[in-house]
Amino acid sequence: MTTILTGVDYASLSPLLILLLGALVLLFVESFWEKTAKKVCWIIALVSFIGAAYAVWAAPASNSPLLTPWLRFDSAYHLFAYLFLGIGVATTLLAHAFFTVFEEKYPNLSHGEFYFLIVSAVVGLILIGQSNDFLTLFLGLETLSIALYILCGYVKQWEVSHESSMKYFLMGSLGAAFLLYGIALVYGGVGTTSFTDLLQKYQAIPHDAHSNLFLGGLALITVGLAFKAAVVPFHVWAPDVYDGAPNPVTAFMSVGTKAGAFAAFAVIFLLALPQFHTLWNEAISVLAILTLVYANYVALRQTQLRRFFAYSGISHAGYLLIPLAAGTQDAFPALYYYLVVYGFATLGCFAVLTYLDQTSEGVLLSDLKGLFRRNPIVAGFFALCLLTLAGIPPTAGFLAKFYVLKTGFDAGYYTLVIVALLVTILSAYYYLRIVSIMLADVPEESRSVPLSWPGLVLSILCFAGIVYLSVYPAPLMALLNHTLGGINGSTVNTTQIGSA
Amino acid sequence: MPYIEILFLIPLIASCVAFFLPVSNTKAFRLIGVALSVLPLIYLLSHWHTWLGSEINLNWVPPLGIHFHLKMDGLAFLFVALTCLIVPISILAVPSFTLTHPNTFYGLVLLVQGLLIGFFLSRDLLLFTIFYESMIIPLYFMISIWGGENRKAAALQFLVYMIAGSALMVAAVLALYFSAGTFDLDVLAKSANGLEYAHWLAAAFLLAFAVKTPLFPFHAWLPDAYTQASTTGTILLSGLLSKAGIFGILRIVLELFPDVMKEWSPYLLGLAIAGVFYGGFAAWMQWDYKRLIAFSSLSHVNFILAGLFIWAQPAKTGAILQAINHGVTITALFLVAGWLEDRTGTTAISKEGGMGRFLPYLCWLTLFFVLASIALPGLNNFVGELLILFGLFKENVWVAGFLALSVILSAIYMLNFMKKVYFGPPTFFKEAWIDIGPKEWGIALPLIAIIIWLGIYPTPVFNLLGIVR
Repeated sequence: MTTILTGVDYASLSPLLILLLGALVLLFVESFWEKTAKKVCWIIALVSFIGAAYAVWAAPASNSPLLTPWLRFDSAYHLFAYLFLGIGVATTLLAHAFFTVFEEKYPNLSHGEFYFLIVSAVVGLILIGQSNDFLTLFLGLETLSIALYILCGYVKQWEVSHESSMKYFLMGSLGAAFLLYGIALVYGGVGTTSFTDLLQKYQAIPHDAHSNLFLGGLALITVGLAFKAAVVPFHVWAPDVYDGAPNPVTAFMSVGTKAGAFAAFAVIFLLALPQFHTLWNEAISVLAILTLVYANYVALRQTQLRRFFAYSGISHAGYLLIPLAAGTQDAFPALYYYLVVYGFATLGCFAVLTYLDQTSEGVLLSDLKGLFRRNPIVAGFFALCLLTLAGIPPTAGFLAKFYVLKTGFDAGYYTLVIVALLVTILSAYYYLRIVSIMLADVPEESRSVPLSWPGLVLSILCFAGIVYLSVYPAPLMALLNHTLGGINGSTVNTTQIGSA
Repeated sequence: MPYIEILFLIPLIASCVAFFLPVSNTKAFRLIGVALSVLPLIYLLSHWHTWLGSEINLNWVPPLGIHFHLKMDGLAFLFVALTCLIVPISILAVPSFTLTHPNTFYGLVLLVQGLLIGFFLSRDLLLFTIFYESMIIPLYFMISIWGGENRKAAALQFLVYMIAGSALMVAAVLALYFSAGTFDLDVLAKSANGLEYAHWLAAAFLLAFAVKTPLFPFHAWLPDAYTQASTTGTILLSGLLSKAGIFGILRIVLELFPDVMKEWSPYLLGLAIAGVFYGGFAAWMQWDYKRLIAFSSLSHVNFILAGLFIWAQPAKTGAILQAINHGVTITALFLVAGWLEDRTGTTAISKEGGMGRFLPYLCWLTLFFVLASIALPGLNNFVGELLILFGLFKENVWVAGFLALSVILSAIYMLNFMKKVYFGPPTFFKEAWIDIGPKEWGIALPLIAIIIWLGIYPTPVFNLLGIVR
């Protein structure tokens, strides 16, 4: 057994290494050249994300016995890494737009730290997607969470942020405690924390007592991840936290954290333990129904848009639970496809919110009055994103929802599918109410908003993504089906694919 | 053979052009909008004798089994032709100087046209569903941006009704998919009828189409949406959207679930007949002529549905013919009502009377369309209604007799409207009352021609349907 990592092994780790290097450079620049930092930091972050994405594509898979017990190098990792790096790029562009707007008001905000934390959070996300052991998974989740605890309260001048970051810290720690305790119980049940042979070890458990220990552990792990994913009834922190955080951070939480938590769900329950116990699938379907009904109902009454998107995000978590509950061949592609569409649409919305946002209170529904008259292009783009989120054809949102529902129907969760369809009536109402307010006549005094072209670039990217996925979704779906479709049911480490 | 995908793509490309065209002159823009919207009609008519059987079938989303499958048959041809005809007229119905955001307006109308054409042509169940639901959104914007005082509320109500109606349709689509392993309507037509839960599926589809048409008692959205929308929006809603519901019943419910429909025929017929009379009496009670025409449309649409639910061949043929007739007639009525509204600035019946004296040409034109609407022999509606009544007569004489009374009812409320608005004692003349000129006649002429043509010689329609059978 070798104890030395070869060049190939380092190369296989290069995405993470590039990001860490980028993060260090960011800290370095911020500490020594504060003035320059405001100009270059976002570029450094952007370059490290894109470099890491290239590395994911080009890097070989490692089969060093020092790495494979902890990290996977399969196609699921590749796809998740692209998704997370894309979210990182989007957040960087949003953050630039945010800093452009607030530069005059808060000249003391340091940029380097912000981007450093975003890059670290993405490292955490990639670790989650790549983990082959409960411990690496936990490490990834905590890297992500700790960065976010700080980011939530990043604008110290905002009163509302203090509460937000404190709440997030407490609730996040609680979730982490659940998770860790669950991991301990699983270890107690089967004597390993590795995903590689978890299913076989579980099936080979001789005693009921051990089996109960294992299942109890998984229940706690589910609860811990449900906290992170903001699934009802573990969602209470989300609205306050989203409300208090600066826009780019809220965007990152609603897309990145959600994607991370569901990546963790997918890695554990679709890759490592496919269909291990129907009780778990039943429980998830109940959680999904609760989430869908509650979140869609409460979202009807929101007037502050960051809060609104918190509830909207919770309701989408409900849809994302459906393929998990189904656990069929299609589940993983459906989950991933939904995440991509949800990501494009939500990031597009936040690009608009960041553009409109002037204060710590965020954008209120009434601020949108007459947006269509003032700026038809922004209003049209925002409407497109909202329609996508509402899942109304012909936008990509419909196919994403349809795909998810198809998996649910395939697995026989008819009640869940019907509930999910009925709540789309509510969601159509609250998404389109926003559109309706934008169309209102009331002429408002036009404010001159500094336009940030990175924000514009993000909007264009989201627009292109939504339109492309609406018109021609076949290539992405085929890719997902090809790489993830059959993965479910095979053991984890046998599906090693070099570069995608 | 002509290319069916081009017919589908013309309006969509035209819509993109309209959205981004930098034209500030609204008058010129209207001409461009009309020209763009006429293109599909020209293409359709230039190959009119070779369209049937034209088809395209692409594997659109293989992982989900969705095919981009469009096919032209006789039934589809009728409805596509209606769409191609009505949309340009609906654009011309609104004077260009009142229009804010012309780019959005023309873009949305053309988008509706493209989606409707796609809807009428699709032979893949999921594609059908996508087109069916997606046309709601541009229509929602049409109502919401241009129209009366309460248009926002009306538009949102319209939207929620539509989405609520079709929400469960997706579940039915999934159930059909898993029963047969395909979305192909031709395959499903063979297998769907025998499913043990066919009743539930038929009910889900029927609900979606009933809300859109609308069948009594799913019509609550109709009065507000029809009256608050601009004339263009109203024409699109009454002339084309209601046809989408009827077409859905023809294409999906009747083709896939004939046994269920046969079983439910009496109950559905009861609802439809109730709708005919409800709409008629409600129209009688109105003091606003736009609302009056809206309710008359409800009444007539339910008459068509009655024809579909009777379950007899002449009635079904009559219903299809009547669907086309209603599309033409209701467009004409809302068109002339819109012209009157432009001149008097009100839609209240009591405010101004005796308009026939000041606007004689508009008066005679309106009278012509009103007579067509109340099924004067020799005009188009007469043939359709007669066929429906004929079909019902063979099934049940008493019900047929009862339904025939509705023809009298429609004559009462329509002529009452004519009497009060045009033939009553005249009020004082106002400067703005300029009678219709050659432009308006030009717009109305195709409608007049079709009304007379279908009234005297409806055989081409039957021939088209004969090829279907």
